[in-house]
Amino acid sequence: MHILVVGGGTGGTILANNLARRLAPEIRKKKVSLTLLSASDRHMYQPGLLYVAFGEMSVDELYRDEASLLSSHIDFHVDPVETFRLDQNEVLTRSGQTYEYDILVIATGSRIVPDQVPGLKEGAETFYTEAAALKLFQRLREFEGGTIAVTVDVPHKCPIAPVELIFLLHDYFKLRKIRDKVHIKYHYPIGRIHTIANVAKWAKPEFDRMNIEYETLFNMKEVDVENKVVRSEEGTETNYDLLIAVPPHRGMAVIEHNQLGVGGWIPTDRYKLTMDGHDNVYVLGDTTNLPVSKTGSAAHFEAEVVAENIAAVVKIGSPVRDYDGKVYCFIEAGHDRATYAMFDYSNPPDLKPASKPMHWFKVAYNQMYWNSVRGLL
Amino acid sequence: MNDAAETPLEPTENDDLARLIEFAQIVTAGRDAMSDHIVARVAKVLTEGLNLLDSVTRNSGLMRLFQVLESEDSQALLIAIADALHQAGRDIGGAEPAAGGLGSILRTARDPNTQETLRALTTFGALVSQSLRTQYASD
Repeated sequence: MHILVVGGGTGGTILANNLARRLAPEIRKKKVSLTLLSASDRHMYQPGLLYVAFGEMSVDELYRDEASLLSSHIDFHVDPVETFRLDQNEVLTRSGQTYEYDILVIATGSRIVPDQVPGLKEGAETFYTEAAALKLFQRLREFEGGTIAVTVDVPHKCPIAPVELIFLLHDYFKLRKIRDKVHIKYHYPIGRIHTIANVAKWAKPEFDRMNIEYETLFNMKEVDVENKVVRSEEGTETNYDLLIAVPPHRGMAVIEHNQLGVGGWIPTDRYKLTMDGHDNVYVLGDTTNLPVSKTGSAAHFEAEVVAENIAAVVKIGSPVRDYDGKVYCFIEAGHDRATYAMFDYSNPPDLKPASKPMHWFKVAYNQMYWNSVRGLL
Repeated sequence: MNDAAETPLEPTENDDLARLIEFAQIVTAGRDAMSDHIVARVAKVLTEGLNLLDSVTRNSGLMRLFQVLESEDSQALLIAIADALHQAGRDIGGAEPAAGGLGSILRTARDPNTQETLRALTTFGALVSQSLRTQYASD
């Protein structure tokens, strides 16, 4: 049996390593082969980008060679898929190779598309790429006062990130003793300050305490770079001195080009994590269209379920578990405090008060991530 | 005697409270001493340690080696090797340099120790080859 995993990010790497553990005897006896295809030979710890933007992590801490993270039972190739031929159970890669499979897992992730909003790419800073995070770090260091506008487009990677950004900005300027010179205005596209109701409920009094101005129902229409104005579809606008945006996101271009899902979001069964209409194709991570957060945490828990089910299919012919929508997200609530949100399809998050030990747990997890992707945690 | 009878056998509430306060002070002191960098460094060491342990325990060769090394026979061999290393170091360091020439080589060939060494090496080599052939044959 050939198992093919496409995508070497958090979900794909955890899945492949998890499968390598579970199916080690079968792989040794050559009854199962396990192949991972990735577009990159490096693995990035994406949540670290926000820390880079605030000077709390260095860029080199974010990367490891993908091969160093993988079990020796995994056949790894840096050769991105260009064509999915699901009806023929095969994919075609950039190098011209054809990989046949019995079971396919698509874990290709998502990308930012700032071009979708006129002026956004030129006018806004962000922290969703290495270069952007480093540039934002410089801009923040040079910022001596004025209005910082934070805008958000949904869906996006790490739904908690906009709220964390506000907390970190507040504490950053407090530590620099210029918080009174900085006006922070937060814009969110729906009728509350966060898509997750309990996070919005928890964050609102914190925003008030920190003197954060916020405007909801603000869907970015365009950025007037010359005049430093960001405008909404709703007709409002905000003048800024520094614009920090959580840009629009889409699934990877290859998913759109192969028409696997509108916007690159693949229609996925919310419990089985199979692609609609294809029982031998699993989908996990950002590229699903599931009503869960696009986070590494979701990819992690999805990978656990998919690995268990694929291993069960190999060993006993049938999957054994459903995904319950579980997500676990740390929330940095400032320079040295954090809390967390844990929720699933049935249970909304119940946020605890932020604390220093929880912040240290997150700091520790920034390292322990490298155990997670090896399928250990 | 009266004093002894009046001496409480159970800790008083104040003693427990004092201990709790002491413990809380230690925790607070530890917390004050900690920094993000300390947490990150310790976490990194633990992470790499766990990854290393994972690699070792998933290496069937290493795990088999540990299993074999646990046997009494293997321990005897390891002790013999360790003792030999120690003594050989002293003997070699204390010996005169080899004279060189064909006569010296012939003397070495006739030395029973040379034959002991060759026998040990050929026995070891034969067993390794046999094991490798068995493993590759089962693939």
